[in-house]
Amino acid sequence: MSAVAAVLKHIDEHLQASVDRLFELIRIPSVGTDPRFDAHCRKAASWTAKELETLGFSTSLHETTGQPVVIGKYSPEGTSPHTPHILFYGHYDVQPADPVDLWHSPPFEPEIRRGKDGKPQIFGRGACDDKGQFMTFIGACKAWLCVHGKLPFRLTVLIEGDEEGDTSHLDRFLVDNKGEVAADVAFICDTEMWEDKTPSINTFLRGCVADEVVITGPRIDLHSGYYGGPAVNPIKVLSRILASIHDKNGKVTIPGFYDGMEPIPAGTRKEWAKLKFNHKQFLGDVGLGIPAGEMGFTALEQIWARPTAEVNGILGGYSGAGVKTVIPAKAMAKLTFRLVSGQNPIKVRNAFRKFVRSQLPADCNVSFVTQGGASSGVSVSTDSPYVKAARSALAAEWGKPPVMSGSGGSIPVVESFKRHLKMDSLLVGFGRETDSVHSPNEKYDLESFHKGMRSWARIIAELNG
Amino acid sequence: MTEKVLSAADANFEKSLARLFDFLRIPSISTDATFAHECEKAAQWVATELTALGFHAEVRKTPGRPMVVAHYTPKATARKVPHVLFYGHYDVQPVDPVDLWNTPPFEPTRKKDADGVERMYGRGTADDKGQLMTFVEAARAWVDATGGLPIKATFLIEGEEESGSPSLIPFLKANKAELSCDAAFVCDTNMWDAMTPAITTRLRGLVHEEITVTGPRIDLHSGMYGGAAMNPIRVLTKVLAALHDKNGKVAIPGFYDGVGPISTATRKQWNSLKFSEKKFMSEVGLATPAGEKGKSVLEQIWARPTAEVNGIWGGYTGAGTKTVLPSKAHAKLTFRLVGKQNPEKILKAFQKFAKGLIPKDCKLEFSGHGGGAPASEISEDNLFIRKSAAALKAEFKREPVLLGSGGSIPIVRNFKDILGMDSVLVGFGLHDDAIHSPNEKYNLSSYKRGIRSWVRIMGALAE
Repeated sequence: MSAVAAVLKHIDEHLQASVDRLFELIRIPSVGTDPRFDAHCRKAASWTAKELETLGFSTSLHETTGQPVVIGKYSPEGTSPHTPHILFYGHYDVQPADPVDLWHSPPFEPEIRRGKDGKPQIFGRGACDDKGQFMTFIGACKAWLCVHGKLPFRLTVLIEGDEEGDTSHLDRFLVDNKGEVAADVAFICDTEMWEDKTPSINTFLRGCVADEVVITGPRIDLHSGYYGGPAVNPIKVLSRILASIHDKNGKVTIPGFYDGMEPIPAGTRKEWAKLKFNHKQFLGDVGLGIPAGEMGFTALEQIWARPTAEVNGILGGYSGAGVKTVIPAKAMAKLTFRLVSGQNPIKVRNAFRKFVRSQLPADCNVSFVTQGGASSGVSVSTDSPYVKAARSALAAEWGKPPVMSGSGGSIPVVESFKRHLKMDSLLVGFGRETDSVHSPNEKYDLESFHKGMRSWARIIAELNG
Repeated sequence: MTEKVLSAADANFEKSLARLFDFLRIPSISTDATFAHECEKAAQWVATELTALGFHAEVRKTPGRPMVVAHYTPKATARKVPHVLFYGHYDVQPVDPVDLWNTPPFEPTRKKDADGVERMYGRGTADDKGQLMTFVEAARAWVDATGGLPIKATFLIEGEEESGSPSLIPFLKANKAELSCDAAFVCDTNMWDAMTPAITTRLRGLVHEEITVTGPRIDLHSGMYGGAAMNPIRVLTKVLAALHDKNGKVAIPGFYDGVGPISTATRKQWNSLKFSEKKFMSEVGLATPAGEKGKSVLEQIWARPTAEVNGIWGGYTGAGTKTVLPSKAHAKLTFRLVGKQNPEKILKAFQKFAKGLIPKDCKLEFSGHGGGAPASEISEDNLFIRKSAAALKAEFKREPVLLGSGGSIPIVRNFKDILGMDSVLVGFGLHDDAIHSPNEKYNLSSYKRGIRSWVRIMGALAE
């Protein structure tokens, strides 16, 4: 039996135990953005540290300006300065679970149910993003260590708790702890496969910057009869500004928004075109049909390689049952801008603020609440030995070569690793677009979890030489 | 003859005041069940007063606080006299916070203030006991001076006005024949200022709608779908942003059907009012009128329709960030209506307008409760308005202002819809009366000239 075959067998035979451990972790409602869940975040961090200790790692919990960071360190016997050093990154924090009433099972009581396709799936908040995903790597290491006693590289595992919230906390932590986390390369498991049976390696990542805008008009809420007409309505003002962000071709109209952007390389466009991405199905799955982004770009380009301006939430006036004839004193919206390589997040945010101010009518004031961190878009070189190792390992496990894909979501940490630690990232993940991450009924296919662990075992084997 | 009645009113003024103070001492708070007995007492008090004046007065039970209904039929006259209904309410607002009152709220106090003006302080002095007693004392003056009222009168005094009048509509429906008159007079509004009387002739109508835009079936990750997936908040804001053109005009096709210009005379009168737009706006922290360009603030609130967004919500609105592309976005709207705008047509026009702005794969739902009410406007040429205006002019030596009100007064709508009756809104309150607040007051001159005004109006109606 080859070195890897024994590990794969071990993974297969101990799948139930791995699922049980993942369930323990999902049961901890570690919502990172809501201070009421801070204690749970700490619990999830401790749980992770303990898990790493059972693998023989020396672990520590680091306080940060946000949620604690878990660091686990491993050096195989006979380590030399030439032994490769890998940093594995994941996050234990999860998205808020609301609207809770749309969940078919309680978000923090994980269970396996058969999905529409008849395959078993793990349901629960964090089942995919990112507890299920990062546990594939930990599970693979555990199996490898059980079978072979040692890993073929030095390893630092970093699991943080602010990925879904303010990413500046980790950014500061990285700057302050460069020596602690520096490695040759970072492995990250927080992305999706190309499709059900086709793995992928992400080489194109959008960045993200968020903002909150608050428009105030009258000093107090007004009676819409007595003041309706002469009193400016902040909801109308906000609506007008938000409605003007896109032109009729889906292009963002904020002056300077596209500054510095690198165009998508012609070769990449060609390769992506060959993927026969079915945008009808992609959008059809979520109840839509027409790509709503910039005209002249395919849906795939719109999500992988074009920047966006999105309103994530809006609130103003009366939103309870029935009628309240009020002209509200204020209205607010939360936005995120997805950025691609070359765009400067701070400049984009400032451009947005200037754009809002320029459209503000008399009697209105605007304030902005800076939200979270800001990250640039990143593109990763496809020539690294790690990317090559992952390519052949994934091809062996899934029977198909992985797609070198883009990702619409931001993984700000990739940019931080690059910026602060000069480290490239290898992004391999086993999520599926049907996973409803950030939505009710988040799930992770049992197959993703199982073959995810197997994939990492094969990657470890590739690095074993 | 009217002069004789006015003299009687003046001669009896101190007694009129004493009677009002008796009435004010009854703490008839309708919203608080512990005062239910006091409300009954107040109703009985009114009925007794009216009986003494020769009315056939009854206290009628309702599921809530009782109604007082009283009828007066003058001795047979050669001429046909009109039959009018006088409406008021004996219930008052709660008094808390009590510690902010300078005098006990149910111990009415007469006081000459530092500005030399005599005022009475107490809960209900203006809203509405003082006001409704101007009718009653005017009737008394007619009885004292001439032996009876010159017109056929029905008094309807309710006890639930401050708690939403839950019994009123069923009561009007059940007693339709008995309560239907030629016109209703309501004494529950203000003068333009202390020297200038007013008749409220325009009340804007109202219809509301709730709109929901659905884009994706579920909330989506704004990274994984952002760009390709349509965002319903974006769609909704486009609809709302399109509601008004750059001149503040509502852009919904057909919206202004049935909206006429105000008459030259009305415009002239409103322009002469010395209404301070600046003060009106600055009281709520604003400075620049945001309604239709070219229309004064008064015209914007009294005589022009509006489309207002009262609420909007969608996606994540909690603390921090949630990078979500929401499935739904909602807004609540109200349209204030004037002239002959039809609420149903307005809703249809809005719905059509919104549908036209929605991308193909977004869904639009409307969940307003329908209904709504058109504007209530009485023509300046209405006989009752003309007679009341002339009477007020005689009393105040000033042309009464024909006011609008941006809000709606439900009773006016109910009288029109159920009893087929127009309402004449004449009141003697002042904007600083602090109704619903501590230290409610009513100027003695409001009471006195209120009584005199009704004496004149009753006389004018009989002519």
